[in-house]
This record gives sequence, structure tokens and C-alpha cells, in this order.
Amino acid sequence: MHQITKIAGYVTIILAVISFNFFLPRFMPGDPLSFLTGAPGMDMPIVLDEATRAKLLAYYGLDKPLLQQFADYMIKLMHGDLGWSTYYNAPVSSILAGRLKWTLLLIGTSTLLYIALGIVLGAISAWNRGGKSDVGLLLLLLSVGSFPPFFLGMLLIILFGVKLNLFPVFGAQSPFMAYSSPVEEAMDILHHLILPATTLVITHIGGVYLLMRNSMLNVIGEDYILTARAKGLAEWYILRKHAMKNALLPITTMIALRVGFMISGTILVETVFAYPGVGMLLFDAVMYRDYPLLQGAFLIITLVIIAANFVADMVYLRLDPRLRHD
Amino acid sequence: MTEKTIELTDLRRLWDTYSEKRIGVIGLVIMLVFIVMAVFAPYIAPHDPYELYNPMEPPGPDHLLGTNDIGQDILSELIYGARVSLFIAFFVSIVSGLIGTILGLLSGYYEHVGFFIMRIVDAFLAIPRLPLIILIAAFMRPSIWNLVIIFTILGWPITTRIIRSEVLSLRTRNYVEAARMLGAPDSYIMIKHILPNVFPLLVVRLVVEASHVILAESSLSFLGLGDPTAKSWGMILHYAFMYPTIYISDVWKWWMLPPGLCIVLTILSLMFIGYALEELVNPRLRGMTQV
Repeated sequence: MHQITKIAGYVTIILAVISFNFFLPRFMPGDPLSFLTGAPGMDMPIVLDEATRAKLLAYYGLDKPLLQQFADYMIKLMHGDLGWSTYYNAPVSSILAGRLKWTLLLIGTSTLLYIALGIVLGAISAWNRGGKSDVGLLLLLLSVGSFPPFFLGMLLIILFGVKLNLFPVFGAQSPFMAYSSPVEEAMDILHHLILPATTLVITHIGGVYLLMRNSMLNVIGEDYILTARAKGLAEWYILRKHAMKNALLPITTMIALRVGFMISGTILVETVFAYPGVGMLLFDAVMYRDYPLLQGAFLIITLVIIAANFVADMVYLRLDPRLRHD
Repeated sequence: MTEKTIELTDLRRLWDTYSEKRIGVIGLVIMLVFIVMAVFAPYIAPHDPYELYNPMEPPGPDHLLGTNDIGQDILSELIYGARVSLFIAFFVSIVSGLIGTILGLLSGYYEHVGFFIMRIVDAFLAIPRLPLIILIAAFMRPSIWNLVIIFTILGWPITTRIIRSEVLSLRTRNYVEAARMLGAPDSYIMIKHILPNVFPLLVVRLVVEASHVILAESSLSFLGLGDPTAKSWGMILHYAFMYPTIYISDVWKWWMLPPGLCIVLTILSLMFIGYALEELVNPRLRGMTQV
């Protein structure tokens, strides 16, 4: 029962997002045609004579009734047709397909890193609560966490890219490189990944760290920790086997919720580092007023995140049997 | 004892507990500095931030932080920037907080209304915020009021959820049951008995939301989707970022660093205030940290 409600909820949300995407250009002030042809009214209006205008309206199907347009839109969407990018002069779907892998690489790497680091540091902090390392970590992670990702990225570029010249400052691969081996290519990609991934890790670690710290503080007060101590077990062993394992439970929900937050940081970080993922595509689309591309990128990003949330929800149902019988 | 004196001693006691937390006091001081900057901007700023002087001038006696690519005094831009950033943050957090409180009260108190409202909240929370903001902002004419509308629309769902879960636990308390048995109308119970008890939680939420809005506004402005006629810190960073030699020359030291640090300090001060308030509101947390 629980699962059915959940699935129905997700389907509704997906339908809502798609309809929102459809109605937005049609209900916003300005001419929907200008949003499709790439010259929105506010920047540089292109004056069309009536005949050309009518032809264009017919071409984009904007002369049909709204419901018919919506049906056409849905059918096109089902076929993977996201429209035509006015700036790149190519189908939106094929542009997105080329960019998605970089975003997934960036998000995947940094998510693994910040969760692992946040859990370890949170556990250490809680174990030494009130001590110097606890207060130090708390202040440090709270402070770096308040740096906007784009500003942090720019600082890292100046420090590690320009001053120390350790890492490349833009792109995902060196331009015009002929790799002699796949290992060399992987190293080049990794080299380009380090600064953007570091920026994302620093921005997001605070949340996991704080949650783990609080969760551990609750666990440490439990009787079974006292028992373990009384048995004379080593501190390190109690921390790992008794405290951390139980403290990890609430973290699993958080990871799912965080995927949505991640994408915001990724858009900014990709823009700063000119990392060729979907986030930077969103920025380009805004810069060049490429509305079909903007809408396509928004739709894909949103669907990926909703899918991630859905998977996390289902996994969580399996992890916690108490939820299944609700 | 009159009601007023009770309130005064209560406030005094609250302040005593709050000021025990050093970071809470630090946060409050930083915030006050920025508020003074915002309110008295025309008197503090050495120049009109829209006035054009020599472009790209390095810091000197006339322009303490130099000038930007079109010759505007960066220090004056920075001081006026506090106005835009703080105004949007506080306005949005208060309005969306108000909407969230009303909907949270209703959805916590009436089960069917609650179910309906929470499904809308779920939908809002499932959609990633920044891409949605970017999409709407790209279609709307960018202006401060449009930003305020967008952030308000996206801010209320979290508040609603937090307030609702508190109301759900409050409405089963004895004093609420007692009031109901005495025949008090729902509106009276909600305003007199439940609202005062969710208020502390709401204050923490407002502070957190304000810092989210500061971050969202600066991100949007950084991407070039802010109000082009308003001087905000994110907007200054946007133009600095678009400047071709920003990293290679020394320009970043006075053009990029100051607005970035202003954003960081504002968010940090709100976070410190929120942290201290949260310990005040939630006594279970008290004494866990000695910061």
C-alpha cells in the first residue's frame, strides 16, 4: 500500500513538471514564438511580417488549440524529442546526451567523497565532544560550508590553478590531446576533476558531518556503549562496531535528500570551471537565450533527480522493514 | 504583576541564555554591521555606485577598492549591495515564513486539508530548487520583485512541513484538549495555544531561510539572472567572473574577494545566530557544545 502511494506520488510529480515545462513559455509575458526561435522580446526583438509569423506559428504548431499542442508535446517527448537548440543548431536531446556523463561523473565522485569524509569526521568529532578537535572541526566545517560554491571555486582556481599551477582550471579534458593509452586519458580526466569535485565536497560536507555528529552523540549516551566499555573493549573497536553502525541509520535518508541539493552546486561549479556537463549547458542556455535547450536541460535534470529520490525511497523501504507494513 | 513586566524579565532571561553562546553574539554583531551598512548606504558610500569614473583603476585614496570594468567605484557598489541582498533575504523569509506558518497550522490541525497540502509540499520538495529558479527567472523579466516572488513561492513548503509536524504533536497536549473541551473555537486554539508554541521554531526557520535566500540570490545574480539595475554582491561577482583576465592579474583581490567575503560573512552570521537560537529553543541540545 505504502509503495503504491509513493509511486502514484512520483508519477504525479513527473506529470506536474512536464506540464509546467509546457505551460511556462505559453503563459509568461512575451511571445511564445520568440522563446522558440531564439530571440525573446526583451533583448532584441525581431520584427516579423504577418505572413512569416503565421508560417512560423504553423511550423511550431502554435496555431493549434492548447490541448492539441499539449498532446503533440507529450507525444514528441515520448519519442525523446526535446526540441531544437537555437544556439547549437542541433537537437536538444543529442546535446544533452553528450553532456550528461560529465555531470554524473562529477556528482558521483563528490557524493561518495563527501559522504565518506563527513561520516568519519562527524564520528571523530562526536567521540571527542567538547574537545579541541571537535570544536575545531565544527567551526572549520561550518565556516567553509558558508562559502557559495561559485566563490569557493574561483578561489581554488586562483590558488591551485594559477598561483601554484597544480591543476587545470577549465574543461574536463585537455583540448586537442591525442592520448597514447586509456590510462593517460583517465589520468587527464581525473586531473581535471579534482578542483571541481573538491569545491563540491567542501560545500556539502557540513550537512553530513553535523548529522553524523548529532546522531553519534545520541548513540554514545546509550546503555550498550557503557556495557561495551565495561567489558573492557578497546575505544576504537567500540567506536567502529557499536557506535558508528547505529549512528549511520539516519544518514541514509539524508543522502537521498542531498542529491537535489547537489545539482544546485553542480550547476555553479560547472559554470566556474567550464566543466562541460548539463549544469554548464544550463548556464550557456541562459547566456544565449536558448529556451528550448534551457527547458530540455531543466527537464532532464529534474527527471534524473526525481528518479534518484525514487530509488532511494525504495531502498529505504527495504532497509527499514517497519515502514513496509504501514 | 502585570503582563508587561513578565515579558521584560522573560526577554532579559532569553538574552542571558542566548549571549552565553559566543558564536551567537559574534553572528549578531556581524549582522548588525551589515544592517547599518544597508540602511545608511547613501551616507557611508564614498561615491554614487552608478557614477562612471576611470575603468579598472587599482585601489587608491579616491577609490579604496578601485573601480570595475565600466568605472564604477567597487566599495560603493559593495555598500549598496548590502541593501539588495539583505532586503530580499529578510523580505522573502518573513513572507514565506508567514505563508508557511498559516498553511502549517491548518495542515497540522485539520487532517484532510493537511493531506492535500502535504502532497503539494512533497511535489515542491522533489523538484530541485536552483534549476527551477533559473528556469523561471530566465522566462521572467529579471527584477527585484520578480526574484522576491520566485523565492517566496519556493520557500514556504519547508516551513509548512516543519510547522505542521510541530502542530501535530502540540494538538494532542492536555492544555489543547482542555481548551477544546471547554468549547474554544479552532481559530482561538490555533492562535492562543498553538501559535505561541511554534513561534520559537519559526524564528530559527526564518534565520535559516534568510541564509538560503542570500545564497540563492547571489547564485542567480552570479549566473547573470539577477536584476541588472540593482547592485547586489552576486551581480558584482558576475561581472568580475565575466572579465577575461580576472584570475591572472591582481584585479581579483579588490573586485572578486570583497563581494565574495561579504556573502560568506552574511551567511556565516545567520548560521551562527541560527545555531545559538536553536540551542535556546531546543533545551536538549544545551550544553552539548561549549562554543
